[in-house]
Parts: sequence; structure tokens; C-alpha cells
Amino acid sequence: MPLDDVILTATNVSKTFGKKNKTVEALREVSFSVARNELCILLGPSGCGKSTLLNIVAGLEDPTGGGVCLEGKRIHGPSRERGMVFQSYTSFPWLTVFENVEYGMKLNGVPKDERKERAEKFIDLVHLTRFRDAYPKTLSGGMKQRVAIARTLANEPDILLMDEPFGALDAETRWHMQEMLLEIVETTHTTILLVTHDIQEAIFLADKIVFLSANPGRLKTVLELDFKKGKDLKSKEDLIALPGYLECEREITALMRAEAGKSKDDY
Amino acid sequence: MTGTVSNSTSPAGMPKPTPQPNAPAPRRRFFEFKKDIPASWSVILGIAVWACFFGLWEFAVWQQWANAILLPGPGKVLGALYTMFADNGFLSDVLISVWRVLFSFGLACAVAIPLGILMGTFRTVEAFFSPFVSAWRYLPAPSFIPLLLMWFGAGDTQKLALLFIGVIWFLITLISDHVKAVPADLIRTSVTLGGSRWQVLRTVVVPASLPNITIAMRQMLAVSWTYLVIAEITAADAGIGAVMMRAKRFLHVDEIMAGILVIGVLGLLFDFLLRQVYRFAFPYLEGQN
Ligand SMILES: Nc1ncnc2c1ncn2[C@@H]1O[C@H](COP(=O)(O)OP(=O)(O)OP(=O)(O)O)[C@@H](O)[C@H]1O
Ligand SMILES: [Mg+2]
Repeated sequence: MPLDDVILTATNVSKTFGKKNKTVEALREVSFSVARNELCILLGPSGCGKSTLLNIVAGLEDPTGGGVCLEGKRIHGPSRERGMVFQSYTSFPWLTVFENVEYGMKLNGVPKDERKERAEKFIDLVHLTRFRDAYPKTLSGGMKQRVAIARTLANEPDILLMDEPFGALDAETRWHMQEMLLEIVETTHTTILLVTHDIQEAIFLADKIVFLSANPGRLKTVLELDFKKGKDLKSKEDLIALPGYLECEREITALMRAEAGKSKDDY
Repeated sequence: MTGTVSNSTSPAGMPKPTPQPNAPAPRRRFFEFKKDIPASWSVILGIAVWACFFGLWEFAVWQQWANAILLPGPGKVLGALYTMFADNGFLSDVLISVWRVLFSFGLACAVAIPLGILMGTFRTVEAFFSPFVSAWRYLPAPSFIPLLLMWFGAGDTQKLALLFIGVIWFLITLISDHVKAVPADLIRTSVTLGGSRWQVLRTVVVPASLPNITIAMRQMLAVSWTYLVIAEITAADAGIGAVMMRAKRFLHVDEIMAGILVIGVLGLLFDFLLRQVYRFAFPYLEGQN
């Protein structure tokens, strides 16, 4: 990938919460970049500042040091270029699936015909065609997350941010969602920055893993998953059968262990 | 085959009777921890409590536990109610009372809903109004009656003002609390989709808090009825409370009781109406339909 095809760069991002006497240093000088059409994973032990970093990229939180640039421009505050999917279910209960997906486009003044066309395209993409006119209360957790994904994608962000989007789902639903996400990436070529602390999820989805260490959150290492390069992974089974998978998982598990070991009593 | 148990269940080598699918269900016990009861039971029990009440009342009258003038029977009260509507123009008094409640409550909502929403959304608005609103909440509205009487006389304005200050402060507080409880991630979702402050307010904060605002209105409308009676029995020439005070002067206890009955029925009616509004306006909520 050419060097100039970097879409997002974070440079020396630091974040300290709290006032003078009681402060929590969540992030210290974290730098990384995301290339166009890349699926980049932020991985690290619990409490290492992954969500904080993602919120800073989203513009929901201001860094206390450093900054983030999208397409070379310094970001200030939230915007539709950086759409976010949260771990909690955020489909608006008073809107149908279709109205939810249409919502972002409505905010941005997209004309009605185009809204309809785009909403339907993305509802199909997340396999919710049958539930187009259903209210979220009739949907399962995985379906609600699919609504959130479709809604954000239909808004055509430059980068899709996801904070443990499948964290609240049961294991099997999570696999389906992960496979669906890869399917979506294949058709839409969206750039994604996704936070997780699930190692297998990270390996399955990632083009690149940005690994953070804890207390305070710092960049530990960036892992390019060479063993996956050029392979067309459709399912979890494909991944596990791939030579090099186990080594990779062991390497990351060891990294995670080393971090967790720093504070033995904190689990 | 010596066991007493097997002998007693299948006598004389007969095959064991298999449980019938339509065998009677195990007997339902009357007192069960946190178990739902059949709808018919709810209706019967609900009627039973009123039957007990009227029965006891009738019994007390029959036994002459109290002076017949002070304690007329249910029949006499209903009779008085009929005469009041048929001959004494009671309907216009009822309508005046209803109008007072609805008008003052409408005014209170017109102020409290926008203000409560803004206070629940923006910390600056809250910091400005909250100290003021909290202080007023602890001042009992009836303590303003002498003042209101001097300012506005005994007319409608005084009553509307009392009803207004009786509910407005609680209404504002309840609404702003409900608005504060709107999940932050819903707001953050809208903002990261490109929502401006005004759009977030209009398309997320308001619809997300509207069901609870309706509940707060239902609660405070009941309080409004309380203040109506206080306002009308202190000074009024018309309205349900005024009729009751006039009846007191002539020792017409049956008319006083009829007035209480009407107030109770009206309160229930408005509560029912607002519950229906809630059901039909928010069909998308969990646990509805
Ligand atoms: N608003 C806040 N005020 C004070 N401290 C905060 C705040 N938000 C996060 N922190 C602290 O910053 C650190 C990083 O939190 P963050 O939520 O970013 O971690 P995380 O990696 O997302 O963890 P998890 O895997 O549990 O989601 C934690 O120690 C947390 O307590
Ligand atoms: Mg987190």
C-alpha cells in the first residue's frame, strides 16, 4: 500500500482525566495510523484506554496532548465523517429499522429518493430486509447492532469507528456478526477502526492490530498479520485452519498476559 | 411386588394409569409469592373491595353508628347527586372546575416541558434555574393563598395561580430528571452522524424522554386536582369545592359526599385518559402491545 494512502493519523495522543489533585492518566503519547480501506483493530487489556482513544478519534473527547488528523486535516469535535457504533444498543426505539437507517442521512439533508435507495441498500447488506418496518423492540441484540452498523454506513463516513460492537452478544451471534462485517468490508471498502479485547475477534477481522499496554495506555506494538495476507477468509473455521494462526494467537495472548501480569490483583 | 407403594397405585395388575393431558391443573393457591393472577380474579377482587366499602358504610348507617345527618347512606348520596345535576345546575360547577384544572395545568406544562428539557440537556441552563426551582419546590403552594387573595381577589385568576404554582416546580424537576436519564450513547450516536445541537435536541432528546414526560404529567395532574379543591373551598362562588362549602353551611352532608365522589371519578377519568394517550402515542416501547 502506498505510504500516502494513510487516511487517519494519531500523533502523540495523551489523555489525563480529572482535576489537579486526583488524576487518571489514560493515554500517554499514542501514535498510529490507519490506511484507506484498512480494518484496523485497537487491542489491549481492559482499562488500557481503548475507548478513550476511540472517543478522541470520534471527537467526543478532547485529547490533553497530541492530536488526530483525518485526510491530513486536524479533527475538532464529532462529525459525520467519523461515524461510530457503540457497544450498547443505540437503535432509536421510536423509529422503525428503515427510519433508523435513514436517520443520519436526514440530518445531513440527503434528498428523499436517495435516502430511500441508500437505506434499502444497507438494510439488505446487513440482512434485515424482512425487518425493514419493524420497531427495535422486536429485534434481537445482534439485529439491533446490525441496524446501528447499517445506519452509520448509509451515512457514508470516511471511517467507521466501532467500540466493542459485538461485546454484548453471545458467542455464536458474535461469529455471524464478524463474518458479516468482513462481507460488508468486501463490498463497501469502508475503512474501519474497531476496538476489542477479544483476541480471536481481533485476528479474524484485522488487517492490522494496534496493541496498547495498560497503566497508562501506551502503544506497545503494531502487528501486521502477514499469515493472513492474500487469503480470502470467509469463516472462523477458515481462519483457525490457516497455518500461522496458532502462533499468532499465542503471540498476542502472551502480550496480553504480560500486560495483565503488571497488575496481578486487578482482574 | 411387595412394595406397598406399587400396590396402591396399580391394583390387581392393571396397567398404571398414565396422566391425562386434560387432567385438572394443580389447584391454584390464593396466596402465592409474586405470581400473576388471572384477569378475572383482578376484576372480582377489585369489585369486592368496593362492595366491602359500601357494605360497611350501609351497615354503619343502619346501625346508627353516627348521627344520620352527619352520615347519610350511599343511596342518599346518589340521590343528592342526581338532584344536584338535574335541578341545581351542578354540571356548570363541574365544568368550571375541570376548566380550571386543565387551563392551569396546560399553562404549567407549556412552561415546564421546554424548561425541563433544556435543564436536563444543558448543564448551564440547569445551573441557572435549578437553585431557584428547588427552593420554590419546598414552599407549600397553599401558603400563598392569602397573598394570592390580596393580589387577585377571589376570582379565577387566584385559583389558576394557585394551581399553577402548586404543580410547576415539581413538573420541571421531574421532567428535567427524565431528560437527564436519556442514554448518553443515543446522543453520541446522533452527534457522530452529524447532528447539530438543535437536531440532537429535536430528534433524540425529545422523543427519548417524551414517554416519561407523559408519565410525569399524569402524576402531577392528580396533584393539580388536590390544589383545585383547596383553592375552591377557601374562596369561590362556583366550582365543585364551592358547592361543597355551600352544602356545609346548610348541613347537606349528602351533597358534600356527592362532591367528593365527583372529584374522585373525574380524577380517575383523567388518569385513564392520559394512560390511553401513553398507550397510543408510544406503541414502540418495550412491554406495550
Ligand atoms: N470520564 C472519565 N473520567 C475519569 N477516568 C476515566 C474516564 N473515562 C475513562 N477513565 C479511565 O481511563 C482509563 C481507560 O479507560 P477506557 O474506558 O478508555 O479503557 P478501555 O480500554 O476501553 O477498557 P474496557 O476494555 O474495559 O472497555 C481507565 O482507567 C478509566 O478508569
Ligand atoms: Mg472500553
